Amino acid sequence: MVGLLAEHGDDAKPLAGGQSLVPLLAMRLTRFEHIVDLNRVDELFGVSADNGGVRIGAMTRQAAVETDDAVADRAPLLHLATPHIGHFQIRNRGTIGGSIAHADPASEYPAVMLALDGVAEIASASGTREVPAAEFFESTFMTAVAPDELLVALRFSAWNQLAGFAFDEIARRSGDFALAGAAVGIGTDADGRINRAAVGMLGVGPTPLRASSVEAALMGLAASDADPAEIGRLAADDMDPIGDVHASVEYRRQAGSTLVGRVLANALAQVSTEAGNG
Amino acid sequence: MSQTAAAARYVGQSVKRLEDPRLVTGHGRYVDDIVLPGMLHAAFGRSDLARAAITRLDTSAAEALDGVHAVCTGADLNSHNDSLRASLYPPESPAPPANMLADGDVRFVGDPYVMVVAESRYIAEDALDLVEVEFEPLVPVVDYETAAESDHHVHPELGGNLAHDLPVPNPATDEAFADAAHIITETWHQHRQTNVPMETRGIVASWQPHAGVMEVWASTQSPHELQLVGARVLGIGEHKMVVHFGDVGGGFGQKMFLGREDMAVLVVAKLLGSPVKWIEDRRENLLASNHARIEQMSVKMAVGEDGSFLAADLDQLEDDGAYPLGGPATPGAMATMLFPGPYRMGPVSWRARTVYTNTCGRGAYRGPWQMESVAREQMIDRVAREIGMDPLELRRRNVLTPEDLPYQVSTGLHFETTISPEQTLEQAAEMIGYDEFRAEQADARKEGRYLGLGMALYIEPTSMGMGPLGTESAMLRVEVDGHVNVFMGTGSHGQSLETTIAQLVADELGVRPGDVTLHQGHGSGYGFGTGGSRSAVIAGSAARAAASGVRDKVVAIAAHLMEASADDLEVADGVISVKGTPAASMTLAQVAATAYQNSDALPPGTEAGLEHTARYKAPPSTHSNACHICTCELDPGTGKVTLLRYVVSEDCGVLINPMVVDGQIAGGVVQGIGGVLYEHAVYDESGNPLASTFLDYLVPTAAEVPELQTGHVVVPSDTPGGHKGTGEGGAIGAPPAVFNAVADALAPFGVYPNRQPLDPNTVLSLIASASN
Amino acid sequence: MADQIPLSMTVNGQTRRGLGEPRLTLADFLREQANCTGVHLGCEHGVCGSCTVLMDGEAVRSCLLFAVQADGADITTVEGLAPDDETLHPVQEAFRDCHGLQCGFCTPGFVVSVAAFLETNPDPSDDEIRHGIAGNLCRCTGYQGIVAATRQAAATMKGSRQS
Repeated sequence: MVGLLAEHGDDAKPLAGGQSLVPLLAMRLTRFEHIVDLNRVDELFGVSADNGGVRIGAMTRQAAVETDDAVADRAPLLHLATPHIGHFQIRNRGTIGGSIAHADPASEYPAVMLALDGVAEIASASGTREVPAAEFFESTFMTAVAPDELLVALRFSAWNQLAGFAFDEIARRSGDFALAGAAVGIGTDADGRINRAAVGMLGVGPTPLRASSVEAALMGLAASDADPAEIGRLAADDMDPIGDVHASVEYRRQAGSTLVGRVLANALAQVSTEAGNG
Repeated sequence: MSQTAAAARYVGQSVKRLEDPRLVTGHGRYVDDIVLPGMLHAAFGRSDLARAAITRLDTSAAEALDGVHAVCTGADLNSHNDSLRASLYPPESPAPPANMLADGDVRFVGDPYVMVVAESRYIAEDALDLVEVEFEPLVPVVDYETAAESDHHVHPELGGNLAHDLPVPNPATDEAFADAAHIITETWHQHRQTNVPMETRGIVASWQPHAGVMEVWASTQSPHELQLVGARVLGIGEHKMVVHFGDVGGGFGQKMFLGREDMAVLVVAKLLGSPVKWIEDRRENLLASNHARIEQMSVKMAVGEDGSFLAADLDQLEDDGAYPLGGPATPGAMATMLFPGPYRMGPVSWRARTVYTNTCGRGAYRGPWQMESVAREQMIDRVAREIGMDPLELRRRNVLTPEDLPYQVSTGLHFETTISPEQTLEQAAEMIGYDEFRAEQADARKEGRYLGLGMALYIEPTSMGMGPLGTESAMLRVEVDGHVNVFMGTGSHGQSLETTIAQLVADELGVRPGDVTLHQGHGSGYGFGTGGSRSAVIAGSAARAAASGVRDKVVAIAAHLMEASADDLEVADGVISVKGTPAASMTLAQVAATAYQNSDALPPGTEAGLEHTARYKAPPSTHSNACHICTCELDPGTGKVTLLRYVVSEDCGVLINPMVVDGQIAGGVVQGIGGVLYEHAVYDESGNPLASTFLDYLVPTAAEVPELQTGHVVVPSDTPGGHKGTGEGGAIGAPPAVFNAVADALAPFGVYPNRQPLDPNTVLSLIASASN
Repeated sequence: MADQIPLSMTVNGQTRRGLGEPRLTLADFLREQANCTGVHLGCEHGVCGSCTVLMDGEAVRSCLLFAVQADGADITTVEGLAPDDETLHPVQEAFRDCHGLQCGFCTPGFVVSVAAFLETNPDPSDDEIRHGIAGNLCRCTGYQGIVAATRQAAATMKGSRQS
């Protein structure tokens, strides 16, 4: 596979689930001399639990991610985000690697990968390298994967602590791309004090974004004391929205930060429940 | 009519559809399923610019591609375009140039300027990529509100952008306004939407040289319009134009008339002598089939101290786009005439204008005049708020009651005694639990939640009896084995006519619905097809009359053969029997066999055969009416509106098939919901369409739609079966009902929306404007 | 023009062989070379769901697959659901009973999608039904009959599993 990509460079495009690429081809909005179909490359499929986390082959279907127990256990945000991707027919074909390599700023997995500090395994004819999420999304639809490279897997570490996770998004219709969305993970110490905060945002910038002001404001607070609506509003400063036919810059900023607050509230409620159970 | 009216056995029942076994198993036959030997495929090259001169057009590379049979430009085809006008559009009225392909300049994004015919659609599109074209951009006319004053003309041939201007002043309004306790004004806006049948447009045309016959399969609502206008385009007689009618995947008005592309395919198929298929793709459908509802109505209303509607002054403006489908019609005139609706209202003056713009042409979309209900019902809610009266109470004070009927509307319309607006208003209010909801709404507001209720009441003119719309015919034949074929000019494309016509025939003739097959298209008599909520009344009455004529003959023959009195016979489920003596009977098949194969045994003087043709002429209008009420919750954080409940009380007279009626209402309602909350065929300032795929043109899914409840008030019309049209109503009542519900939910913020769509972005900015 | 590639797949239980360019979509192969004209094309960009078929048992958009990708696969289209020419699949029967269709164009995609949806969600709530079928667009019915049909089919199919 990587040999074909090395040979054809810009003229070749890897085809994963095809749920984004094929419509563009059908409408003749893009074209390639060569399409390299990954759907029969067995080693790109499947989830494996590895030292405290999960490794997910790039061609693992979203539907498989949705129902995988190791994912639900070790990367619950992925599990929570998956039902928001399109519709079940789309998830039957769409893949996690395809989503992340396509890097639509309004799609779910890139924001989750960013929030969870996931790692991309990228292969080429000269070997395999690893790129952390923070360096992966370069600009809209552009990633660290070069034309002669292939995204082969994603790795996520489990949070071995008290933690709560929540995901939600605002979409025009069921299954549509998000106008704004948030993926939130909150970890606390045994006393319920927040020592890890991860807030990924989708639909509110040229790439998926981290709400670092929100994260900073959360650190060190007692989870039970945090005012999610108040803290969520800080997310507006972390956004760099682009307006389109469905929502303006102002809308995405305003509704998006409201949503961050709501998702944060859910995650905080989760962590409290966890603590209560523990 | 028969001496003894047949008992209704099937009319009124939710008979399962005869269409369905083939459709649910994938065995329908739509136009794209037609494959002919040697068939070629057409694709159109379309403008990416709203207005531009074509400075260079070189098709040689496209022509040279393997598999390409023809590349046509406007210069090649437009000489065949002598009379492309739709039958509804008067030949003497000014209209845009009748060209199939743009010639010299393009006038909207999507304007076809070149057509490729090739061995496959794939190759045809490959060839389009090889067409070399250069444009010199011109300033487009995009904003319809200023189009009339623009120095740039969409159609230079017409000398201006104003297509129609119909002022109807009424001095009587002056006095009413002078005395009014309240004068309230607002301009209500709808926005650009499109029909979106799930099957796009499409046509297959096959020319038979020497025979001089054009054989056509098409996705159409009106096979006879295609036969008539197609024959005119080709310069052949209608008897040489054979239009086959198969399954049609929806239309909602879009498929009443021939598009420019349809005509081009007909002409090219004749020129090439090979069958040609064109199946529109979804982008073409969203960009270049037809748009609708781009309009505004300014309303000034005089209201009395007690809330009575004293007078109204209306100014309606609508965008016709560049090439309006079916001609530059003026539904605005109808919208203004219908404005008083189901209320007592004093004098009305109005003006209705349409303008051309460099956008996709306007076309009929389910209830093309429904701006009257939008403007009136939204205005009534506004009046209620301004004068501090409950909107239901305000409607109750003004609604036409049975005592008011018949009612002469100040705009010239006449309502007969067979409408029931007050009854539907009360039924809907009860169904929704009006008072309980208001209490729930008040409680919710204390918790910071925003609920809203909206209602809309309207009268729909259906089955209009004028011009080409006025009649339909039915040719009914009992075959030798007793089964029934009926040939009609309709074009059922989801309305279930194969079932409902069969139900009518079954009752009238005395057979089972499954014994009756409806044939549309070739071989049927002229009719305008299915649209305008006309098939139940007009086609249904024709079918009933044809069946009645045959039944009379069946009874006469059976009486002779059985040596019984005709008065003593009854016909049911294909058996003729002596009343009270079921053993004395014969089958319809026996009567038919006698009529065709043993005609010497017929009563003396009886013509052989068992067939009858009847044509029905409709009265000027048959009015149905309905009341829609819906409730919603608005999320002030995201601007998202969720519909909670939706009820419709309607009166379409005698229901032929209640399941089908409810289905028609539901479909229309959801199109209305889509229009107010989701769909927007938006252009940017340069005339670029921004919603050219299903990712951006947002047709509602099941998840956006609440459960719908319907109630029926049945006041039979004066037409033979007592039916009234109901196909369009849902899409008339829903937009103002949904709009009013959202406006009600926004009321605590003190803001007043006056335009759609009410998408989350708009709702949030309305709330923001209030807090500023 | 690219070379024609030989194709072979099982369609509704029968082996279908054909030829196609690499860019030939599965939908076009099924319609044009396998006589499955019940596979309808409503958008060709993967949104409307009219072209939904089962590929190795899973509902997929056949407009978003190349035929060559389905080489060797087991495909079921709407034509393959009913057990025989006289009997309807419970989902098809329910669509007829509940007026879940008008023009019928979106119906094949809905029927296949609902059949697949009920396999993994045999006892769905109304809300699950509405989101479960949101990947298919209908413009005629307002979805009322389709939701009712899905409800009915769930009950019927559950009954037949238990018996």
